[in-house]
Amino acid sequence: MSLPELDQRDDDELIGTILAAAGRQDLEAMAAAAAEVSEMTRNWATHIPWDEFDSLDETALNEVVADLTQMWEPVDLQVDADEEYALDKNAYDFYRPAGRNLMTRTEEFHGWVEARRRTETWQYSRTLEAAPNSIAQITNDIGRRTRGINFNSQDYLSFNTHPAIREAATKAMRDYGPHSAGSPMVLGNTRISDELEASLGELVRAEQVTLFPTGWAAGFGAMAGLVRQEDHVLIDRLAHSCLQQGARATTRNVVRYEHLNVEAVRRHLVDIRRRDSRNGILVVTDGLFSVDADWPDLVTLQRVCREHDATLLVDVAHDLGSMGPGGTGVLGLQEVLGDIDIVMGAFSKTFCSNGGFVASASPALKQYLKMFGGSHFFSNALSPVQTAVVLEASKIIRSAEGDLLRSRLRTAVTALREELTGHGLTCMGEPSPIVPLLIGNEKLARIANRLLFDRGVLAFMVEFPVTPTGSSRFRLQVQANHEPEEARAAARIIADAIADARTYLSSAFGSTER
Amino acid sequence: MSRYDAIVIGARCAGASTGMLLARQGHRVLVLDRSSFPSDVISTHFLWPHGTSYLNRWGLLDQVLAVTPSHTEVTFVNDGIPLTGSVPDELLRAYFRDWHGDDSGVVRTYASVRRHVLDQMLVEAASKAGAEVRTNFTVRELITEGDQVVGVRGRDSDGQLVEERARIVIGADGRNSFVARTLGLPKFDERPRCTFAYWSYYSGFDLGPAQLHRRGRLACAVAPTNHDQNMVLVWGPSEWSREFRRDVPGNFQRALDFVSPELGEVVRTRGVRAERVYGTLDQSAFLRPLAGPGWVLVGDAESAKDQCTAIGMTHAFRGAELVADALGRWFSGDVSLEAAMASYEGRRRSQNAAAYYDYVCTLAEMRPYRHDELQLFVALRGNQQEIDRFVATHADVAPVSEFFQASNLLLLNDAAKETSAGYPVFEDYPATARMYQQNLFA
Repeated sequence: MSLPELDQRDDDELIGTILAAAGRQDLEAMAAAAAEVSEMTRNWATHIPWDEFDSLDETALNEVVADLTQMWEPVDLQVDADEEYALDKNAYDFYRPAGRNLMTRTEEFHGWVEARRRTETWQYSRTLEAAPNSIAQITNDIGRRTRGINFNSQDYLSFNTHPAIREAATKAMRDYGPHSAGSPMVLGNTRISDELEASLGELVRAEQVTLFPTGWAAGFGAMAGLVRQEDHVLIDRLAHSCLQQGARATTRNVVRYEHLNVEAVRRHLVDIRRRDSRNGILVVTDGLFSVDADWPDLVTLQRVCREHDATLLVDVAHDLGSMGPGGTGVLGLQEVLGDIDIVMGAFSKTFCSNGGFVASASPALKQYLKMFGGSHFFSNALSPVQTAVVLEASKIIRSAEGDLLRSRLRTAVTALREELTGHGLTCMGEPSPIVPLLIGNEKLARIANRLLFDRGVLAFMVEFPVTPTGSSRFRLQVQANHEPEEARAAARIIADAIADARTYLSSAFGSTER
Repeated sequence: MSRYDAIVIGARCAGASTGMLLARQGHRVLVLDRSSFPSDVISTHFLWPHGTSYLNRWGLLDQVLAVTPSHTEVTFVNDGIPLTGSVPDELLRAYFRDWHGDDSGVVRTYASVRRHVLDQMLVEAASKAGAEVRTNFTVRELITEGDQVVGVRGRDSDGQLVEERARIVIGADGRNSFVARTLGLPKFDERPRCTFAYWSYYSGFDLGPAQLHRRGRLACAVAPTNHDQNMVLVWGPSEWSREFRRDVPGNFQRALDFVSPELGEVVRTRGVRAERVYGTLDQSAFLRPLAGPGWVLVGDAESAKDQCTAIGMTHAFRGAELVADALGRWFSGDVSLEAAMASYEGRRRSQNAAAYYDYVCTLAEMRPYRHDELQLFVALRGNQQEIDRFVATHADVAPVSEFFQASNLLLLNDAAKETSAGYPVFEDYPATARMYQQNLFA
């Protein structure tokens, strides 16, 4: 082939000449310029009849002009700048603000949040107008109200409206007042705090229990108490934020292993022990993962840890009380009650209160964490009302009524998953109080979320940083009070909203992962 | 019964490869293209390591590399922050296992290969595999029976009107696909903002592996290619194209000097340009429906994206393997056409595909890198494993979601070995950011 001559005219100029000639209906000049257009461009624009310009009829000429114009000066589609900005960005775009003034440099992020709010695609900071039940009445962050089937509250056994729970709260209020008035290391605990520790110890069969003011504080405090600079942390990539941040705060020797991959843990342990026989290794995982609704093989994981002198910590925040025989969660399902080194949990999902705990079989570990965990010693203790509520919840969880509530919860979960799957949607993970409905693309999720708000379903959309980029989803949290028909109706509304959002965005992407 | 199992329209990266793979499976394939070969076409003609790996899997890589330089490492320089890395072997293997079920033929080298070199080899390989290839053939019509596409009518190289029929018609005819236009297929997920790109070919210097430079809203790249020449490419936001066009050669050099004064100097003082400066603005991204009764699309015809990550040819090869595999299962009677196409669609329209599409389209807007993005590049310095993963993510070997994950980004920060102190771009960043917004060519 003969390479194009260096001094030939640029295609830009030639196309300009062709379009000008077309304006004069000068087909001959068009054909002459077309002959000079580079082979590159002619072979790219195969829809242009480059060799036939001299014999174009009027229709064909108009078509050529339209096609060439579109290629050379494409008209930008009209876009809503606010909505484009709101939908295109991710929170991670603002993780490292610019400038030396710590206060003013937060403004760029704020501008983005405002765009999300104006376009009603900001899913955070909604407020309740009344106690959240299977139906809730809420106000969004710009003051608009709605009422809908509620999958946006974490109250798996619907304890928030349970008379015995409310009575326990009232009694504690009468007996002790609203305030614990001190650290649990000083004088913040009451007699019912000891009762609660004992009750939780029996539930997870690890009797040495320490209470924390929040679940976050329990996870972070456990790691801060145990892990030192030269120790190692092996943590599931998707473990809860309090554990990830706990890992970062305590040591630089952090390995994030592939989600649920016990074989990867074993390999990392072999590798670390080959290099380091002196320091500790903490392996960290959730029981029920709150974003993917799955769980690890704890039997093998605990065995592998023991084989390499590593300690296992399992966060059972979402499964304890709501699943498993007698409410024992994933530990009970896998028959490892009493076998796990350290069990950590939160009360905010099933136990109807703030707070968290760390449990093990070791009194020494308990004392050490109380002293060095930071968030135990240096926080006000759980309030008496919180303590009483959690204590009452733990009693109901272990009773026949607990079994009944869990069975109603399972029925609602099954109904919801079946109906969603029947609409061709993907529910991730295993049947559990958390039903993650995979969406994928953030824009699609944000628009679907906006539509749902007015259609009577309250659902929490999760995106980065809770999920990885491009893997957004709705996290539907089911309650024992959800009627199966409520769940099915909600599933149909959700399916419609997703379909409409896809049409709105004119998107052809599906939701399969790979 | 039709003479052919498949008619492939388009005989370049997507079409010749699909035709070759189907013919190798023993199917009767007709491949048509309106061009003659060898010939050029607008292209960044860059093959990332999975792209060259496909050629290797098909037994064509040695022939290509006999006349084409190749390298493993690539250097990105973003606002003066350099990162040099390569796509790791294990991520490439994981990629091939995930997409195609086997990781044979993996190589870690990339190559910039001119289309008049590569496409000719692909066409020959398709012929050699038993496909019938007709060039200088212009398809004029799709023959339909009801909704069903059953063949094509067109003019062959002698100007004769010819009609051919097949069980399926494969549109591998690029972003301006005749098949898609004739069927009136809609476009989805359109992203009108894209880059303008101008490039040419220079001898006179050899800078080794490929370099990609980015500053403000402009970028440039140099990659060694065939004939002992370098492809030198500049690109910027489509909003600036009108002003750029007023003086293409002058602004080409201005852009180089702005983005990388060193590279600008090399090109100005040592570079000998061998061809005219080419350019395109026809790069907005979109998807089309993938398949319908009697037809399927592959390559740019089904999904085109901006050139800024130079992934088009590699994606065309991937599409060719996917579609040839899916159609092969249908031809052999293992699955229905609907099931075969559903599996093809599942892969091409997945969450990961959407995330990468967004990554490219966002990059193609050519907004200046933000302070936090630049700090991420600083944090990556010296962390070779993560630099390599970033390169693999940029090239769509590893999923975007695994790199851009909260706990990973936090860990990258914590592991940072350098601070922003050594990079002047951080000095008065707000002023620099304002300067970057101004059209250099206005």
